[in-house]
Amino acid sequence: MTTLAERTTGRAVIAARPGQQRARRRRLLVVFGMLLPALLGLAVFFVYPLLASIFFSLTRYDGLSDPQWIGLRNYQYLFTEDPNVWVAAGNTLWFVVIMVPVKLAFAFAVAGLLTRARRSSGVWRTLFYLPALVPPVASVVAFVFLFNPGTGPINLILSFFGVKQGPLWFNDPNLSKPSLLLLAVWVMGDVMIIFLAGLLDVPRELYEASSLDGANGPQKLRYVTFPAMIPVLIFSLVTGVIAALQYFTEAAVASTVALGKASVGEGIGATLGYPDNSLLTYTEWLYVRGFSNFQFGYASALAVLLFIVAAAFLVLFLRKVKAFMPEEATS
Amino acid sequence: MTSLPLRQVVATTAVVARAPRRRGRRPLAWVAEHVVLVALAILFISPIVFVFLTSVMTSNQTLSATLWPDPWTWNNYVEAFQRVPLARWFGNSAIYATSATLLMLLSSIPAAYVLARIKFRGANVIFVAIIIAMLLPPQVTAVPVYLMWSKLGLTGTLLPLILPNALGDAFSIFLLRQFFLTIPKEYADAGRIDGNGEWGVLVRVILPMAKPGIAATAIFMFFNSWNDYYGPLLYTSENPQWWPVAYGLATFRGIHGTDWGLTMAITMLVMVPVVLIFFFAQKIFVEGITLTGVKG
Amino acid sequence: MIRSTALRRQLVGAVAVAAATALILSGCSGSANQKVDKAAPKVLSGNVSFWHFFTDREAKVIQSVVDDFEKANPKVHVSVHSGQDDTKLQQAISAGNNVDLGMSYSTDIVGSFCTSGAFRDLAPYIKRDKVDISALTPVTRSYTEFNGKRCAMPALTDDYALYYNTDLMTAAGITSPPRTLSELETDALKMTTYNADGSIKVLGYDPLMGYYENAAAHYGPAAGAKWLGSDGKSVIGSDAGWPELMKWQTAFVKKIGYAKLKRFSASLGQEFTAQNSFQKGKLAMNMDGEYRTAFIADQAPDLKYATAPFPTADDHTDLYGGGYITGNIMGISKGSQNPELAWALLKYMTTDTAAVVKLANGLKNIPHLTSALKSPDLVVSAQYKTFVDVAQNANSSTTPPSPVGAGYQQTFEQYWDKYQETGAGDLAAGLTKVDKQINASLALVSGP
Repeated sequence: MTTLAERTTGRAVIAARPGQQRARRRRLLVVFGMLLPALLGLAVFFVYPLLASIFFSLTRYDGLSDPQWIGLRNYQYLFTEDPNVWVAAGNTLWFVVIMVPVKLAFAFAVAGLLTRARRSSGVWRTLFYLPALVPPVASVVAFVFLFNPGTGPINLILSFFGVKQGPLWFNDPNLSKPSLLLLAVWVMGDVMIIFLAGLLDVPRELYEASSLDGANGPQKLRYVTFPAMIPVLIFSLVTGVIAALQYFTEAAVASTVALGKASVGEGIGATLGYPDNSLLTYTEWLYVRGFSNFQFGYASALAVLLFIVAAAFLVLFLRKVKAFMPEEATS
Repeated sequence: MTSLPLRQVVATTAVVARAPRRRGRRPLAWVAEHVVLVALAILFISPIVFVFLTSVMTSNQTLSATLWPDPWTWNNYVEAFQRVPLARWFGNSAIYATSATLLMLLSSIPAAYVLARIKFRGANVIFVAIIIAMLLPPQVTAVPVYLMWSKLGLTGTLLPLILPNALGDAFSIFLLRQFFLTIPKEYADAGRIDGNGEWGVLVRVILPMAKPGIAATAIFMFFNSWNDYYGPLLYTSENPQWWPVAYGLATFRGIHGTDWGLTMAITMLVMVPVVLIFFFAQKIFVEGITLTGVKG
Repeated sequence: MIRSTALRRQLVGAVAVAAATALILSGCSGSANQKVDKAAPKVLSGNVSFWHFFTDREAKVIQSVVDDFEKANPKVHVSVHSGQDDTKLQQAISAGNNVDLGMSYSTDIVGSFCTSGAFRDLAPYIKRDKVDISALTPVTRSYTEFNGKRCAMPALTDDYALYYNTDLMTAAGITSPPRTLSELETDALKMTTYNADGSIKVLGYDPLMGYYENAAAHYGPAAGAKWLGSDGKSVIGSDAGWPELMKWQTAFVKKIGYAKLKRFSASLGQEFTAQNSFQKGKLAMNMDGEYRTAFIADQAPDLKYATAPFPTADDHTDLYGGGYITGNIMGISKGSQNPELAWALLKYMTTDTAAVVKLANGLKNIPHLTSALKSPDLVVSAQYKTFVDVAQNANSSTTPPSPVGAGYQQTFEQYWDKYQETGAGDLAAGLTKVDKQINASLALVSGP
C-alpha cells in the first residue's frame, strides 16, 4: 500500500505516480481525520472567540438585548474613565514583576541546597514539592486561616515572640499581596523540581575545570551554573509570567475568605479585590464587568487589551523556548 | 484552566530523578546546610500541620489563643458531610475530572501523533496555533465562549467544562507530542512496513510504548480539572447541584462564616485525594520522565 | 502590520463571519412582544419555577407560603430553586434557563432588569387585575420601578436601626440610646474596654466602613444624603450630607485607631453566624437590620438588648425616626414559559396581606404592605417594633435604582473605604471625582 519513500520518511507528500495518487489521498484523509477534532477545537474555542471578542468589544451588550454598535466607546472608557482598570492592571503587574522573580529565586536557592543533600535527597524533594500538590483553593483557604490576624496561628506565634499586635496580613491592603507572595513561595515546588533537574544536568566536568582555573563559589555560579541553566530559567520565566498575567483563583479566594462576610444573596463580584482593591487583578476586573455586571461589550474590550499584552509578550519570548518551536518535529 | 499546569508536569516527572553522589565535603558545611534544610522543611510542613490541628478543634477553640487541640474532636469531619453536600461535591469533581480526562485522551492522542510523526503542509501553523492557544489566558476568550454555552442553555452544568475536551486540549496535545517525539521514529516506520495504516501504527506501535506519557498527561488533566475554580465559578455557580469540591470549599466560608474547624476539616478532605493519587502514581511518573523542552 | 492584501481580505472576511455568528448566537430578543390575556385564567394549572436566594431556615419559610399557594391551586406545581444570588439569576435569565419568577435580595438589579427587559413590565397585569399599588409603603413603591416602568414588586423589606446591649449600657451608666452621631460616639467610647496588651476587649460601636452592615447606603438617611439627581446623575459630590458623615466616621475611627479596629474586626465572628460580635456581647452597639432579632432569638436568646432608630447627624435631628430601607424584590422573567402562573404566585406572595404577614413572621423581615404592618397577626416584639415604625416613617429612604445597579454605591464606598484609613486628602475634590466616575459608568451602559 505505501511506498518505500513513505515508509522511510513518514512523509505524506510524495511524487505522484499513477495508481499511487489514490493511496496518497486516502492517507491524507486519515491524517486529516486524526487532526479533525483538534482543528475544530481550535476553530470553536480559539479562533472564533478571539474574533468575536473583537466584535463584542465594539458594542454595548448585556446578554439580554441585542448588541448595540458603539464603536470605540468601550476603549475610550477603558483608557480614560474606568476607575479600577489601572489599579487592577497595577496589581497584576505586581504579581508579574515581584511574585514571579521572588518565587523563581527562592526555588532556585532551595534546588541548589538540595543538590548538596547527599542522603535521602528524594525525601527532601518530595517534602518541598508536597505543597505544590495541594489544590490552590485549599492552599489559599489554609493560608488565610493561618494568617488570620485575630486568632490565626501565625500571629499567635508572633505574640509568643513579643509581637503583641501582629500584622493584618490578608486584611491589610499593604500586606495582602505580600501574603499571597508567601503562598506562592510555599507552592514553589514545581519550579524547584525543574531547577533541580536542570542543575543536576550541568556537567560535573565544567565545575572541575573551573576549579582548576581557580574559580570561587560565586564565580562558578556566574560562569558555569547560570549559562547552563538559561534555557530552564527562560522556560520557567515565560510560563510564570503567563500564569501571573491570568492570576485569578488565589486572589479571588483570598478576598472571599478574608472578608468572610456572608452577604446573603450577593454574588462574588462585590467581594473581589478585598481589601481596598489591593487584590483586584486584571482578570478579576474582567470577570466583574463581564459576569457580575453583565457588560459583555466592555469586558470584551478588556479581553482584547489582555490579548494584546499577552501576545506581545509571547512574540518577544516564544522563540526562546525551544519546546514551543515546531522545528523539533523534523528531528 | 486558570493556572498553567505545564511546570507542574515537568516538575512531577522529574521529582524522582536521582542526584548523583558527590564526594568529600567539609562536615561544617554539611551541618550548616542541613540546619537550613530542616528549618525550611519545618516551615513548609507547618501550614498543613496547623490546618490538621485546627480541623480537630471545637469551634470555640478555633477562636481562642490555642494551637493545640484540647479536647481532640473528629466531629468536624462528620459535620462536614452534614452541613454541606460534601459527598455530592466530591462526586461532581470526580465526574468532571474523569470525563474531561477521557475525552481529552480520545481527541488529543491522534492529533499529537500526527503533529509529532507526520509531515504535511500547514503542520507548523497548527502547532504554533496550539502553543498560542495553550499559553493565552483563558479570560481572553471567556466572553464569547460563555455566551455560546449560554445560548445552548448549558450554563449551570459542568458540560461547558467537559465537552470542549472532545475537541482536543491544547496543553495535552503539546505534552503528548513531546512524549511521542521521544519514541524513535524507526518504530513507526517498522509498523508501516508491517502493513499498518496510521491508525494501526498509533494503536499497535505507539500507544503501548507511550503509556507512561499518556498516564502522566491524563493525571495532569485530572488534577487540573479537580483543582479548577475559575471554570465552575463561571459555569456552575448558579447551580449548587453541580458544584465541584474546589468551588464548594471556596464558597463554604462565605456561607458558614467563622467555623474555622469545619472549614479546615473540609480543606483537609480536599487535599487528600490529590496527594494520594500522587503517591500511588509516582511510579508512572518515574517511567514518564521526559523532556518537555526544559532541557532545551 | 498585514502586508499581503490577500491575507488582509481573508482576515476581514473572517472578522465579518465571526461578527455575523456572534449576532446570530446572541439572538434577536430585544422586542419582547408581551401578550397578556384579557382576563386572568379561572383555574391555574401547570408548572412554574421560582428562583430565590434564601437558604436553610429562611428557605423553609418561603416554602411554607409556596405550599399554601399550591394548596389553594392544586393543579399548580411550583419548583423552587433556593440559594440563587443575583449573578446567578441574571445568568440564568440571559441564558434562557427556565426561570418564571425570580426573587432578588436587593433592589440593585431593578434598574438594569427593567431597562433590559430581563423582568417583564407588570403594568398590564396590574391594570387587568386591578391591583392597588398604593397599598405598598412609599419607599418600597419607589424602588421597584425604574423610569416609570414597574417590572418588580417588593417582597418584604429590611430596615436599619440601632441595636444596643442593655447590660453594657447599664454598666456604663447610660440610660437612653444615643439620638445623634456625637452621642453615639461618646457612648461608644465610654463602653469600649481594652485588654492589657492594648487590644480591644469590648467595643462600644465599630465605626469601620465595610464592617458588618456599615455601608454608605445605610448611613445616608442619618444626614438625608442623596445619591442621584432627577436626571439620574450622581449628586454625591454636591450633597452636604456625605462629607459630614464621612468626617464624623473617619474622626471616630482615628480616636480608637484604624489598625486596632481592623484587627479587632478581623478576629471577631462573622456576621451571619452564632459568633456575631453583637450577639457575643463583644460589641455594645451595632447598626443592623430587623432580621437580627430573629438571629438573636435563635442563637443568643439570653442576650439583653433593645433597639432604637439610628442616630442622626448632629444638625439633622429632625430626621430622627427614619432609617434606611431596602428589600427583596420579585419579578417575572423575560423568558418565562408560564407568565400567568408566575404572576399569580407573585401577586399572592406580594399583595395578599395574610401571605405577607406569614412571610414577615417567619423571616422576621418587615412587611411592605401598610395593611400587613398594621395587621394584628403580625408578631411584634419590643425590639422589632422599632423597625415597624421605621418602615412607616416619612424620613426613611432608600438607594435609587439605576442602570448600573449598585455600581454607583460601590464606587463611592470604595472611595470612603480608602478615605477612612487616613482621613487625609481633599475630600471635596475626591467626591467630585467619584461623581465623574459614576457618571462615566452610567454613560457607558445607557448613554448615546
